[in-house]
Amino acid sequence: MGDAPLVMSGATKRFGGFTAVNNLSFDVPEGQIIGFLGPNGAGKSTSLRMALGVMAPDEGSVSLFGAAPDIRNLRRVGFLPEERGLYKKMTARDTITYFARLKGMSATDAKARAHELLETTGLGAFKASRISKLSKGMAQKVQILSTLAHRPDFLILDEPFSGLDPMNQQTLEDLIRAEHARGATILFSTHVMEHAERLCDRIVMLARGRKVFDGSLDAAYATLGRGARMAVEHGFDLAAALAPKGFEAHRAADKGPGDSWRVGLPKGLGAQDVLRAALETGAPIVGFQPEEARLRDVFVSLVGEAEAAALDVPTAAEVVEAA
Amino acid sequence: MRNIYLIFRRDFLGYVKAWGFWLSLAAVPIFLIIGIGFGMFAASSSPVRYYAVIEPSGAVASAIEMEFRRSEERLAKDAAAMASGMDVDMTEAQAAAAAPRKFIEVEPPARTIEDLRPYLTGEKLVAGPDGDKPLFAAFLLTEEGGALQYWSTDVNVSALRYAAETAMRDLSRRDALMAAGLSSDFLRRVDETAMPVTAFRLRTEAQPETGGSEVTMADKAPAIVAGALAYFLWLMVFSIIQYLLMGTIEERSNKIFDTLLTSVKLPELLAGKLLAVFAVTSTMMLSWGLFAGAGSAIAASQSPALMEMIQPFLAAVTNPGLIIPAMVSFILGYVLYGAIFMALGSLCDTIQEAQTLLSPMMILLMLPMFAIFIAFQDPGSPVIDYASWVPLFTPFLLILRIPQDPPLWEILAQMGIMALTTALIVWGATKVYRAGAVHGAGIGDLMGMVKSAMGMKPKAAT
Repeated sequence: MGDAPLVMSGATKRFGGFTAVNNLSFDVPEGQIIGFLGPNGAGKSTSLRMALGVMAPDEGSVSLFGAAPDIRNLRRVGFLPEERGLYKKMTARDTITYFARLKGMSATDAKARAHELLETTGLGAFKASRISKLSKGMAQKVQILSTLAHRPDFLILDEPFSGLDPMNQQTLEDLIRAEHARGATILFSTHVMEHAERLCDRIVMLARGRKVFDGSLDAAYATLGRGARMAVEHGFDLAAALAPKGFEAHRAADKGPGDSWRVGLPKGLGAQDVLRAALETGAPIVGFQPEEARLRDVFVSLVGEAEAAALDVPTAAEVVEAA
Repeated sequence: MRNIYLIFRRDFLGYVKAWGFWLSLAAVPIFLIIGIGFGMFAASSSPVRYYAVIEPSGAVASAIEMEFRRSEERLAKDAAAMASGMDVDMTEAQAAAAAPRKFIEVEPPARTIEDLRPYLTGEKLVAGPDGDKPLFAAFLLTEEGGALQYWSTDVNVSALRYAAETAMRDLSRRDALMAAGLSSDFLRRVDETAMPVTAFRLRTEAQPETGGSEVTMADKAPAIVAGALAYFLWLMVFSIIQYLLMGTIEERSNKIFDTLLTSVKLPELLAGKLLAVFAVTSTMMLSWGLFAGAGSAIAASQSPALMEMIQPFLAAVTNPGLIIPAMVSFILGYVLYGAIFMALGSLCDTIQEAQTLLSPMMILLMLPMFAIFIAFQDPGSPVIDYASWVPLFTPFLLILRIPQDPPLWEILAQMGIMALTTALIVWGATKVYRAGAVHGAGIGDLMGMVKSAMGMKPKAAT
C-alpha cells in the first residue's frame, strides 16, 4: 500500500475576516469513492483547491500521496474544477491531447488516448470541432475527458454533475465507476445527494466550512431514526395531535399537497402504527409514505433545516418527473 | 522546460492560427507596395493642364516657363545621377523625357476674367498640344502691373501657383540685379565662391579611423542603428499590450487557470505565455525585416553605391559593443513590460475593463517614446543621461546612449539595475497574476495588494 492519495489535517483557510474552511481533517484512502457534500458556500471548492495546492491553507497541512502538493505528485491527479473552462478555439481532440501532455504523456500517447476517449464516449464525430462549436454538455464532457486522459491514480471532481442533463449525468456516473474499476481513487464534491448515494463508499459532509460528518453511507443513515412522511391539510398541527400518542412530528420541506411532516418512529413501532394513530386523532391526511433514509435528512439532522435548505435536493415528485 | 514549451506552443499556435495575425503580417508589405504604387500612379496619371497668361509684354509667361524648365532640369539631373549610381544608362534628356510636363501654357482665348469664365469652368475648351481641354488657370497682370492674379476653379492644386510665385521672385531679383548693373547669374556665381564647411570627428584611440577624420556615414550609422533598435523595442512592447491583455482576459473568462495550475507551475505558465507573445511579435517583425532586407539586397545588388551606403549599418549591427547591451536591454525590457501587462490583464474580466487600463499604459509607454525623440535630436542630452537611470526607461535609453560611448561602469550599473528591477517586477507580477487568476481579484483589489506587499493591512481575496 502506498501513501494515501489525500490527507488533510486541520486545514483552515480564511479570506480576510471570513473563514471559508475551518480546521478540516479527513483522509482519502486508496481505492475509495468519496463524496464531499455540502450546500453552496460550505467550503467544498476551497478545500479541494487546497488539496491541489492551488491555494495554501492558512493553518494545518495537506498531503497528496504522502507529500505536499506539487507538480510531481499532481501528475497522478486528475482535477475537474467547478468553474468549467476550455480554450474555445481549440478542437476537442487537441484539448484532450494538450492537457494529457501537460500531465506528462508523450504526444503520440496523448493523441491516441484522446482519440480513444472521444470514440468511446460518442464524441468521435466531433473530434475536429472547436470547443466553441460544441454544445455546453459536449464541451463539459470534453473537459471531463481531459481530466481522465492521463489515467490518473486520483480523481478530484468538483461538482462534476453540475450543468449536465440526466443522460449525461448517467454517462458520467458510468465513467466514474469505470475509473474506479480501473483502480482510481475518486473524491467528488456535490450538493446533489442522490449521486453520492449511488456512487460513494464514504461521505464527508461540510457545513459553513466545518466537517459535520465523515463515514460510510450506512453510518450516515444510522444517525437518523426511522420514520414516516405524512402530508396533512394546510394548517393542521400534526405535532400537537400526535404528541399525546407518543409520536414526535417535525415539519419537513417536501413539496406537494398540504403540509409535510416527518414523524419519528419510537423503537418497536412501525409506519402502520403512526398512520393508525394519526387517523385516530382525525388528522386530515392527504399523503403518507413510510420513510427510507435519505442523505438530505441526515444532513438536516446534523446541521438543521435552514442550512439544509441550500441543498439542491429534489422532492420525490420532482425525481419522478425528471425520470 | 517541457511545460514552458507546451504552454508556449499552444499560445503561439493559437495566435498564429488567427486571421488577425496573417492580416497584420501582410498589412505592412501590402500597404507599402500599395503606397508606393499609388504614389507612382498618382504622379503618372496626373492630367495635363492648360494655363494662360494675360499680360502686355510676355515677361511673366517667360519667367514661369523658365521656372518650369529649371525645375525639370533639376529633376532630370537627380534622376540621371540616381540612374548612374544604379548602373542604369540614362541621360538627363532621357530622364527629362520620362517625366512630361503637367502644366502647359496656351494662347489666352480671351483678355478679361469675365470672358475667360466659360473656359475656366469647362463650358468652353481651348486648343493645345494635348488636345482640346478646359482652361485650368489664368494669370492676369493688373493694369498697374503691381500684382499678378491667379484664377482657377480648383484652388487645391497649388503647384502652378507656387511655380509662378518662385518665377516672380526670380524676375524681381533679376530686374534688381540688372538695375544695379549686374548679370542675372551673379548670385549663383557668388554662392559658388562660398567657403565649404567640412565636418571632422576627433576620435579616441579606441575608435576606428577608417577613411580619415572626416565625418562619414560610418560615424553616423551606430546612432541610427541604436535609434532603430530602441524604436523597434518600443514598437514591440507597444504591440504586445493587446496580445497579453486579451490573452489573459480570455483565460480568466474561460476559468481555465485552476486546471492549468494543477499541471504547471505559475512561473512556467507566465514564461510560456511571454515567450509565445514574444515569438508572435518577433515573427511579425522579422517577416517585415526580411521583406525590407530582401528589397534592400535586390537594390544593393543593382548598385555598388547603395551597397557602400548599407555597409556602415551592417558594421554597426554586428558590433558587439552595441549589440550585446542592446540585446540585454531588449530582453529585459520585453520581460519587464510583458510581466506588467500580463499581471494587469489577469485582473480584468472583460475587454471594457482592460480598456480602462489601456490609457495609463499608453501614457506610460509614451514617456520613453518622448525620450527616444529627444535622444535622436540630442544624443548627449543630460536629460537622456538622467532618464536612462529610471528603470522603466533604461531598456530604451541605454541602447541610445551606447554610440555616445558612456563610461563602462554606467553601462554595467544600468544593466544591473535593469536586471534587478525586472526581477522585482516579475516577482510582483507573479503575485498579482496569482491573485487575479487564482483568487479572482479585480482591478479594484490592486491597491490592496500593493498595501499588502508593503506590509500594511492585507486585503481579502475573494
